[in-house]
Amino acid sequence: MDLRAGDSWGMLACLCAVLWHLPAVPALNRTGDPGPGPSIQKTYDLTRYLEHQLRSLAGTYLNYLGPPFNEPDFNPPRLGAETLPRATVNLDVWRSLNDKLRLTQNYEAYSHLLCYLRGLNRQAATAELRRSLAHFCTSLQGLLGSIAGVMAALGYPLPQPLPGTEPTWAPGPAHSDFLQKMDDFWLLKELQTWLWRSAKDFNRLKKKMQPPAAAVTLHLEAHGF
Amino acid sequence: VRLSNKVSFCFVLLFISLLTFLSEPLPWAPESLKVSINSTHQCLHLQWSVHNLAYHQELKMVFQIEISRIKTSNVIWVENYSTTVKGNQLLHWSWESQLPLECAKHFIRMRSAVDDATTPEQRFWSNWSSWEEVDVQNSLGHEPLFVFPKDKLVEEGSNVTICYVSRSQQNNISCYLEGVRMQGQQLDPNVSMFNLHNVAFIRETGTNIYCKVDRGDDIKGIVLFVSKILEEPKDFSCETRDFQTLSCTWDPGRDTGLLKQLPQSYTLFESFSGKKTLCKHKGWCNWQVAPESQEMYNFTLTAENYLRKRSVHILFNLTHRVHPMAPFNVLFKDVSVTNATMTWKVHSTGNYYTLLCQVELYGEGKVIQHNVSVKVNGELVLSGLEPDTEYSAQVRCANANHFWKWSEWTRQNFTTVEAAPSEAPDVWRNVKSVQGYCVVTLFWKPLSRLQANGEILFYNIVVEDLDRPSGLQLLSVPAPANRTELTLDQRAYQIHVTANNSVGTSPASVLVVSGDPGDEEVEEERVKGTEDGFSLSWKPQPGNITGYIVEWCDRPRDPLCDLQWKHLGPNTTSTVISSDAFRPGVRYNFRIYGISTEMVPYLLEKKTGYSQELAPSDNPRVVMSNLTSHSFTLSWKDYSTESQPSFIRGYHVYLKSKAGQCHPGSEKAVLSDDSVCCKYKIDDPKQKMFVVGNLQPESFYEFLVTPYSAVGEGPHGAFTKVTTPDEYSPMLIRIILPMIFCILLIMILCYLKSQWMKEKCYPDIPDPYKSSVLSLIKSKENPRLTIMNIKDCVPDTIEVVNKHEGTGKSPTEPEAAKPTYLYLLPAEESYSGPGPCICFENFTYNQAASDSASCGHVPVPTKAPSQLGLLTSSENLLTALEKNCMNSLEEIPAGESSLNYVSQVASPVSGDKSSLPTNPPQPELCSEYKMQMAIPLGLAAPSSSGSSSLSSITLLDEGEHYH
Repeated sequence: MDLRAGDSWGMLACLCAVLWHLPAVPALNRTGDPGPGPSIQKTYDLTRYLEHQLRSLAGTYLNYLGPPFNEPDFNPPRLGAETLPRATVNLDVWRSLNDKLRLTQNYEAYSHLLCYLRGLNRQAATAELRRSLAHFCTSLQGLLGSIAGVMAALGYPLPQPLPGTEPTWAPGPAHSDFLQKMDDFWLLKELQTWLWRSAKDFNRLKKKMQPPAAAVTLHLEAHGF
Repeated sequence: VRLSNKVSFCFVLLFISLLTFLSEPLPWAPESLKVSINSTHQCLHLQWSVHNLAYHQELKMVFQIEISRIKTSNVIWVENYSTTVKGNQLLHWSWESQLPLECAKHFIRMRSAVDDATTPEQRFWSNWSSWEEVDVQNSLGHEPLFVFPKDKLVEEGSNVTICYVSRSQQNNISCYLEGVRMQGQQLDPNVSMFNLHNVAFIRETGTNIYCKVDRGDDIKGIVLFVSKILEEPKDFSCETRDFQTLSCTWDPGRDTGLLKQLPQSYTLFESFSGKKTLCKHKGWCNWQVAPESQEMYNFTLTAENYLRKRSVHILFNLTHRVHPMAPFNVLFKDVSVTNATMTWKVHSTGNYYTLLCQVELYGEGKVIQHNVSVKVNGELVLSGLEPDTEYSAQVRCANANHFWKWSEWTRQNFTTVEAAPSEAPDVWRNVKSVQGYCVVTLFWKPLSRLQANGEILFYNIVVEDLDRPSGLQLLSVPAPANRTELTLDQRAYQIHVTANNSVGTSPASVLVVSGDPGDEEVEEERVKGTEDGFSLSWKPQPGNITGYIVEWCDRPRDPLCDLQWKHLGPNTTSTVISSDAFRPGVRYNFRIYGISTEMVPYLLEKKTGYSQELAPSDNPRVVMSNLTSHSFTLSWKDYSTESQPSFIRGYHVYLKSKAGQCHPGSEKAVLSDDSVCCKYKIDDPKQKMFVVGNLQPESFYEFLVTPYSAVGEGPHGAFTKVTTPDEYSPMLIRIILPMIFCILLIMILCYLKSQWMKEKCYPDIPDPYKSSVLSLIKSKENPRLTIMNIKDCVPDTIEVVNKHEGTGKSPTEPEAAKPTYLYLLPAEESYSGPGPCICFENFTYNQAASDSASCGHVPVPTKAPSQLGLLTSSENLLTALEKNCMNSLEEIPAGESSLNYVSQVASPVSGDKSSLPTNPPQPELCSEYKMQMAIPLGLAAPSSSGSSSLSSITLLDEGEHYH
């Protein structure tokens, strides 16, 4: 799967679906108590929509960085991006996660990724790119709220950020521009991997909340862009 | 000896002195050479001092610096650095390396010489200092791969050298520029360098250069930021609008593309005041005018970024750069019919300057310009204006003494006052006679704005009866009407028409209408129009003529016709009538009137024509009549030549025939579809009938009638088909119809007299007494023939036939009941039949037979040869008949309910032998008729030829053939 401009019709359909369901997202509408099931479904839909949105955004941004970052088979080592939350995890470990831990990891990951993404937005040189990044940040903020809604519905507390550990995306003095571009590349890649993982997480949760159904088969892989 | 000893001693001393001089460093030689590195700028920085230079001493010296790369023998740079050296001074010199310093070792040494006029004896080089080695690779760390320089910033068109340093010789390393592999030059086994020439700007995020180990995922790269060259600001100028602020503007030129990495700044410096300001904007900057009334300004604008600095200068006097602000408070006062006074104000620029203001007046499609000198308030009288006209005036100002720029325009509109209409309306009339009255339609053209001098409110019409001066009729028609209708009697009237606005009345337009229009006696003449109009001319009229009027309709096909007219002077005898409404293919009629001094118009000439003639668009509707076998007549009486798009000159009649031959009076013509036909030409447009003659009977023809004019003929549309009748049909019809009528009459008579006819001709039961046939036969052939009387016949058998009443079936039908025979006579043994047969003698046939009362029922003899002899006499015949009667009866078809009747109607028993039946009686065909057929004596079955003699007749047995 590459991070190129995706099918605009698919995106439009997804957007319509999300907009249709947004009023029912618990994070946005707490008047009723339909249980966690619908909230999880809406969060899942939002995750899929963000996947489409990111595909277009990443295509634009990687072209902005230039080759080799926009090449489909470019897969550099993860050098300076150690502070990014990793989405890839051993399959057994992933299976053994309980719902609370699963949701907490998602929430923490997107909290960090959102901060990094805002830093990326500040650095962007073109107004068009800044608009796209700002729009995506807004959507990601919505996903974060949606996850918080699911956690609240399930009775899990939100993880508290440690004071003074607000993640930043400012390069250090020794950080070269090339490494900075690598970090940007990894940020987008990790974000996409997290969205894949979240889709599977919420799918699993969704089925768990439903009456007993068929077994869920999960293949969590992290290929290159 | 002593002398030689002294010389030897001196030489030794000199040698010792020389040795001492050579062993110690020379004064002013470089010492304490230290080399430091600036990796970011790829610079080597040298620092040294001069040996043995006194504290107060100052010398002009030259230092020669040698730089080698990789090894000392590979000298890549030699430079002489001249400077003035003071005592104990540390000297500095920098050198920027094209190759990143991390890519190779560098060695530096130097020597010095005095370049001072005061010590000419010291002008030789000192010894070289020892080589100073610069090796940055040792401090790089332990990473397997490095790429240098790190994130370099250069301008477009620069040459850049890039290198990588690998820690392992075994790795194969490839380097790429924007994804394209670069070919490098190996400096040593671990280091390769790549020269990039004339680098170009690609994107604002820089050009990506990276190297990677072929078998491994290690990747290292740099971003080369290439900036577009900073351009010199263009069109730098400053001006003031209020003597308080100088506004300086310039065109910064194109962007460098790296605003984030390479921000650029603009600085404004004024040299007289020594003041400097950093401009906040890229293209303009404000400068506060000094309160001490500084007049001259010398500005330097400097554009600067990390790589380049560009400056431009201007020097000016402040009073020469005044750009006044737009005038304000523009007003108009004392606005009259033709004049107005315009006033305005200008912003104060102190009491020292005079402004030149420019006023532009727009009105009636014209522009009038005025220049006015103004201190504070401007005023201008605008004259020569038109009444009731809207004008637009605008004003702008500039420095009168030193023109720099005009201010912006300030615009204001005003309208002059109305006046009475200045011209009489242009009036014309149309007169019709209706039931003894004159219906006069008056038309007038609206006055132009210049003539109306205001809004026309109504038109006054005064009708004066010339016969009765006191009889005045006044009529007022509100605007914007342009016509009115008057009904007058057959007297002469003078009509006055005036236009009125709110101020007054226009002069009157006078027209006399007489009772008799007198239009009909003038011949119409054709004129040829062009795209520019119709050129009309007429004969000059003797006597007093005040002028001429040409009248026409712009839309002659329209009932309202849009009447137009044109006034012409008394000396004019020609004019060109043009109108935008003229269309090609429309006939326009022009009437030329002369106007007498009494203002009575009378018709002089009539003209008609087309602005452009077009080919006829329609063909006439043709009616065909008088169709005969050799001709037919075509007529198109209802075709109007007046309404055609050109003057019709005649008609073409096209006739197509299979024969393809054209008779005299016609000519062959080839149509557009290549078909050939005959064309008859009719030159008179008034002839609307044509007889097509010389046709062949029973032939197919097609014809078409189309008009033609000077520009062509009508469309070749559908031909009408006609087939001529044959020659005899009319005659046959004349014969056959009466015959049919007669036959019908006979049939009706027959029907009405059917009973009588039946009785006469074919009664159900023939009555021999009534039969005329008998009398005919009797009289001609056999006078002895008589009618058999039934009473004379002795019945021997009674045939009883059951007849069903009402069935109506034929007695010959097989389902009828078989007759029952009652034998009245004793049956003979030879009878093989079931019963006796009653045979009625028919004396009509045979006298002999009737005499012997033999049965006329003659069956076919079963034993013809044996019976032949019997037939020679009546007795024998009777016997034979009696014998064969029953045999034949067997074969008689049953069904006759009554007694079998023997008909004589078709009996061939006349003396005429030739009328004998040609076939012998057959048993199968035994019928009443045949059974009763009497065979005349001496006659046997006739021969097939019908002409056989008696001797040759032979009756053969059944199964034998006739010969």
